[in-house]
Amino acid sequence: MASAEGQGQQQGIGKYAVVYVCLLVVMAVQFFIGYRNIEGSQLVVRMLTFAVIETILVVLFLMNLGSEKRVFVKFVVFFTLFVLATMNYIWTDSFRLLLFRLTGFGPS
Amino acid sequence: MSEAHLTMGAHTAPPMEAPPFAIPSKKLAMWLFIMSDVMTFAACVAAYAFLRNAAPEWPRPFHSVTNVAIMTIIMIASSATMLIASRAARAADKAGAFRWMLITAAAGFVFTLLHIRDWMGMMSQGVGLLQNPWGPAAFGAAFYSITGFSLLHISGGTIALFVVAIRYQGGRYNADDIEIVNIFWQFVGLVWLFIVPVVYLMNVAR
Repeated sequence: MASAEGQGQQQGIGKYAVVYVCLLVVMAVQFFIGYRNIEGSQLVVRMLTFAVIETILVVLFLMNLGSEKRVFVKFVVFFTLFVLATMNYIWTDSFRLLLFRLTGFGPS
Repeated sequence: MSEAHLTMGAHTAPPMEAPPFAIPSKKLAMWLFIMSDVMTFAACVAAYAFLRNAAPEWPRPFHSVTNVAIMTIIMIASSATMLIASRAARAADKAGAFRWMLITAAAGFVFTLLHIRDWMGMMSQGVGLLQNPWGPAAFGAAFYSITGFSLLHISGGTIALFVVAIRYQGGRYNADDIEIVNIFWQFVGLVWLFIVPVVYLMNVAR
């Protein structure tokens, strides 16, 4: 019984060790990309992709959301993603402002 | 004594409604707080993204991100030590949980000092809330608001870690409370992992 419990703890520690190694590797890749001569949307897409991978790892394993009840996980994920998605209305106005600053044309 | 009192006395505890989602109420409260905090941070990042996208020339002031790399390693390490503390508390290892929480709090304190050092470096280059030597005035305001909000969380979390560790040692808090602090600390670490690419790595000087 005790050995089975110890074995379970070892497995748990192994899982967390893998998560931390993944986090460090992803972070190192981000630093590497930061120093590469990548511009514009490519840089944003790559950085955010790796940031999302880190988020999934942290939320599921380190914040233990993965071990909560399925209905609670759905509640947290859908509600948060919905609000984050609705925040993207800023982009049209941001591009309008950029166009106006570059060309002087368009609604002020 | 009335009959009503006698009837109530027969039941030692009144029937309680089951917590929503069948998780402890304190943990649910922490998750709801984190969800609202995600939205606040997202609003800061959205404002930053709006300004950066709308500016034809955005400053790239970070010649070296060594300090930021050290801060990130400390944050990831403190996330690991907090997890160890939470597991020790679950295993009823009170001394171990207390020790690892103090180590986590010390890491948070060092992180805060490095963060202040980073800010002082920016200030010495002339970056203020409303001016900077490179162009868009909003750069300073965006930089200080995002990193400042993170710093506020981390320094607050460090104080909370000390308080919870001492109260846990004194027997007032239990393993569930350590788990809740663990969720918060992992969250502030996650926020930092988002801030590093968005604020620093996308603006490395070339």
